[in-house]
Amino acid sequence: MDPQDLQVVIEATVKVAIVLGVIMTVVAYMEWVERRVSAWIQDRRGPNRVGPFGLLQPLADGIKFLFKEDILPPHVHRTLYLLAPAIIFTTSLTTFAVIPFGPPIEILGRLVKLQVADVDSGILIILAIASLGVYGIALAGWSSNNKYSLLGGLRSSAQLISYELAMGFAVVGILMSAGSLRLSEVVEYQVRHGWNIFWQLPGFIVFMTAAFAETNRLPFDLPEAETELVAGYHTEYSGFRFLLFLMAEYANMITASGLAVTLFLGGYHVPGLHLLDLPPLAFALVQVGAFCFKVALFLFLYVWVRWTIPRFRYDQLMNLGWKVLLPIALANILWVAFFVLQGWA
Amino acid sequence: MRIDFFLVMAALLFTVGCVGVLIRRNVIVILMSIELMLNAVNLTFVAFAHEMRSMAGHVFALFVITVAACEAAVGLAIVLALFRRRRTTDSDDVSLMRW
Amino acid sequence: MRLLMGLVFVVMAAAALRALLPRRPGLTAFAAAVAAIVLVGFYPGDLATFDFWAGAVGFVSILSALLIVMHPNPMVSVLFLILNLFCMALFFLMLQAQTLAALQVIVYAGAIMVLFVFVIMLLNLKAEEGMRVGMGPQRWAAIGFGAAFAALMFWALRHRHGSAFVEPKAFVEGFGTARDLGTLLFSDYLFATEAASVLLLAAMVGAVLLAKRRLE
Repeated sequence: MDPQDLQVVIEATVKVAIVLGVIMTVVAYMEWVERRVSAWIQDRRGPNRVGPFGLLQPLADGIKFLFKEDILPPHVHRTLYLLAPAIIFTTSLTTFAVIPFGPPIEILGRLVKLQVADVDSGILIILAIASLGVYGIALAGWSSNNKYSLLGGLRSSAQLISYELAMGFAVVGILMSAGSLRLSEVVEYQVRHGWNIFWQLPGFIVFMTAAFAETNRLPFDLPEAETELVAGYHTEYSGFRFLLFLMAEYANMITASGLAVTLFLGGYHVPGLHLLDLPPLAFALVQVGAFCFKVALFLFLYVWVRWTIPRFRYDQLMNLGWKVLLPIALANILWVAFFVLQGWA
Repeated sequence: MRIDFFLVMAALLFTVGCVGVLIRRNVIVILMSIELMLNAVNLTFVAFAHEMRSMAGHVFALFVITVAACEAAVGLAIVLALFRRRRTTDSDDVSLMRW
Repeated sequence: MRLLMGLVFVVMAAAALRALLPRRPGLTAFAAAVAAIVLVGFYPGDLATFDFWAGAVGFVSILSALLIVMHPNPMVSVLFLILNLFCMALFFLMLQAQTLAALQVIVYAGAIMVLFVFVIMLLNLKAEEGMRVGMGPQRWAAIGFGAAFAALMFWALRHRHGSAFVEPKAFVEGFGTARDLGTLLFSDYLFATEAASVLLLAAMVGAVLLAKRRLE
């Protein structure tokens, strides 16, 4: 293998390792954040026994899940039962590959893009992989061979595909203004013209609502709520497989937050940072830090909304997705189209 | 790049789809075999588009996908309606109008 | 030589499908897929591009196609169809149709197949115990037709004009991008695009009406 190819392979491997490592760590600590923030909202203390401020709680939980007995219920369809958590976990991790978390920087003479894969059709790839994630849930519901899982799986899949549509339409507005499907160019557009949230606010609201629904988080978590349908599509799962579902949910949250930040909040851009004359590496690192901070803000928003708003009923949920969000998203497209045609964007 | 490989692949997939439509009795599997045939045709379109360097092949493939979506939706709605009436998805059982 | 290859394909396909009985569909499909790929590899013609990755993806696509048709459980058939669609998307990427590959995954593998999964879940279709194939003569007629059809297509491919050495055209910048596809859709093929949208509307209305419980 010639040195050029080797460099590319090493660069890609390092990026994948870093992104994967960071996502998995954040997934584990999201659980801690969720429990502490929910405790704060509910005026009580969260976990504070295991380690200082309960920081080792995710470790304890992980160990608990790992040591549980690996039960394979006899009435399930074995292949699909084992396949479902794998599908949903894989798709939730893969989507983060196209999100840029920093500007291109020069390392050892190479221009390294801080993005695992800068493909020509970045936004399409995200929509594609998100639509594949529906199968994990549908198969989990089906393979469990019991009424509650089936209904939960059906409801959850229907919710996912309905809100996928609204999310796609919200993204079309971004597409039109940036003129490209590449996420790095969307960020470049926002660096030049200001963040998209300011002039595409309806699109942002639609996107955030759809993102909440896509990740099965409250107020859209009917399929997995404890008071409904036992536990929906993951009733029959226990131990490590159940942990995979939970981790997939948190990974989806991280990706959705990352996407919202990239599309609407300017990605890694810090307004006015170029006024301070920083050396390029520090410049890039501050921007990466800004990206992480914005994603953290959105994750906090996710947790905050979960413990504040009551849950939607299924018919209200479907009504919202088709009859409310879709028209708002279409109106947003018209609005953005008007701006783009006038040349103001 | 020579496209004969893709054309042969499409031909084989089309044949498998054809045989599937003829052999299977379950209506849903018949619909799936039809989708397989449509995909083989898409592959042929895209292969020729690559050879001729014309995007017309891609446009037609997109229309084929659109038509496949419509046909799958309506076909599955028919299957649902059929199932409600007859409690079966076996195409041999739906023979009321046969002589 | 060609004729011999064609005959070998027919015999192997027939043998594979002869064992279409409920036992071990996976093994039969595997054997048939290996036969198909070996034959494609030895295809007497201008298959200069039979490189390893194209062959691997082709093998997986033929294997999954055979298993769609042969497996008794419809849900597993759907999964194999999704795998096949994914292989198609990979073929499209090899042929520089990036947008179409992404659209294939989003629309076909991500939405249409979800529809199939929904219907199977709603109807609660389990694995079929009964024989999937029709009556005896019908089955052999189908296999014979399939073999004849494959032979016909191979013959047609053999004699197409493109097999003569055509100068490969220069690589067009932006071939296969969304921009080019969109431009064509809204300029040369505008009428077809509008007609397709009307078709989608009709299909939506039709599907909703057909699947309603009671027309009230």
